[in-house]
Amino acid sequence: MIAVRNIRLCTKDCLCLFVCPTGATNTDNGQIDPDRCLAACRACVDACPSGAISKVPLNYPPQQPKLPGTLQAMNQLLDSRLAQERAADAMLAQAQTAIQRQFAQAMKMSLRVVAEDVLRESGYMLPQGQPARAFLNSLLDSPQPAGFPREAVERLLALLG
Amino acid sequence: MSVYICTVCGYDYDEAAGDPRHGIPPGTRWEDVPADWVCPVCGADKSMFENQGGKAETPAPAPMAAPAGQAAPQQGADAKRLSATASNLARAVQKQHRAGMADLFTQLADFFDGQSSPAGDWQTAADLLKEDLAGRYPAAFAAARADGDRGALRALNWGEKVGKIQANLLKRYNKEGDAAFEGSAFFVCEACGFIFVGEQAPEICPVCKVPRFKFARVGRGASA
Ligand code: SF4
Ligand code: SF4
Ligand SMILES: [Fe+2]
Repeated sequence: MIAVRNIRLCTKDCLCLFVCPTGATNTDNGQIDPDRCLAACRACVDACPSGAISKVPLNYPPQQPKLPGTLQAMNQLLDSRLAQERAADAMLAQAQTAIQRQFAQAMKMSLRVVAEDVLRESGYMLPQGQPARAFLNSLLDSPQPAGFPREAVERLLALLG
Repeated sequence: MSVYICTVCGYDYDEAAGDPRHGIPPGTRWEDVPADWVCPVCGADKSMFENQGGKAETPAPAPMAAPAGQAAPQQGADAKRLSATASNLARAVQKQHRAGMADLFTQLADFFDGQSSPAGDWQTAADLLKEDLAGRYPAAFAAARADGDRGALRALNWGEKVGKIQANLLKRYNKEGDAAFEGSAFFVCEACGFIFVGEQAPEICPVCKVPRFKFARVGRGASA
């Protein structure tokens, strides 16, 4: 487990700095240094007056397996929702007024959130899960268009361990 | 006097109480509420309301089987799917406070979004959405219920409600054009995708109940 700080809740009281035995909470970027945080410690979590720090696991259990019936139905929804997003892309490209542009952009954002949510419940809840790894590996194993950020995928696989 | 419930956000229209703040006096029967009245909480139109304890005047169509086969694999569809898979994983690592990984997944998502080709127009989107609401959502609900998949049911619940709002907005836009949204801004809930049209995002999302700060405002000068 490592400590993470929700910057939105942090009120900069700095009690976490005072209690941390290793100085892990003292960083410039507002985050807690995962390399210095001790697995068994939770001093800053309890000391923070704003409830801004929690300990999150480094390893997660696998997502509940998805059954074929649900997966297939979710898949059909995903295809349809993404086809709608492509329509929004086309409307965005053609937009002439500010309202047309904003409406297309709002629809695109909204459709993407819905599509992501379908994917999340189709086995892609966690990047640490098998489906996410298989997704990244399949990108490396198949031919990709020019400009494909291969190093990004390789780094992700390395970071996921 | 009866009560009609908004199927998107759960707001009650009580005929006895009316909606005086929006010009509907107490005692106004449902059929006398003007067709352009919308839910004061989430903006859904009258067709999204159901009579409490029964269906509204328009019975929902019987769920048709989801269209068989793949939805015409056009060029660029695969790239969209890869993009959405990557952007979803970007959100997942963000929740785990791993900013570095989030940037990498976002880079991947943007790359594939650029590879997908735009296709269709608002009519295409409205037609597909209509099929979703009539067929694909009911079919997916049935499958998820049969599998006891609570996560999928949660996502379907949000997605269907958001779909109703999207369908409403497309309908309004089709009818009135830009005038439909004159003087308003668009706010999109980053958790469920709900779109609010107005001056200020609601205090909590009518669909998924996250607080206001999770709404993204689509800016005036926004560009592609
Ligand atoms: S103790 Fe909590 S509120 Fe104070 S600086 Fe640390 S995280 Fe922020
Ligand atoms: S959990 Fe302990 S070691 Fe880790 S940051 Fe908090 S106080 Fe420091
Ligand atoms: Fe929401």
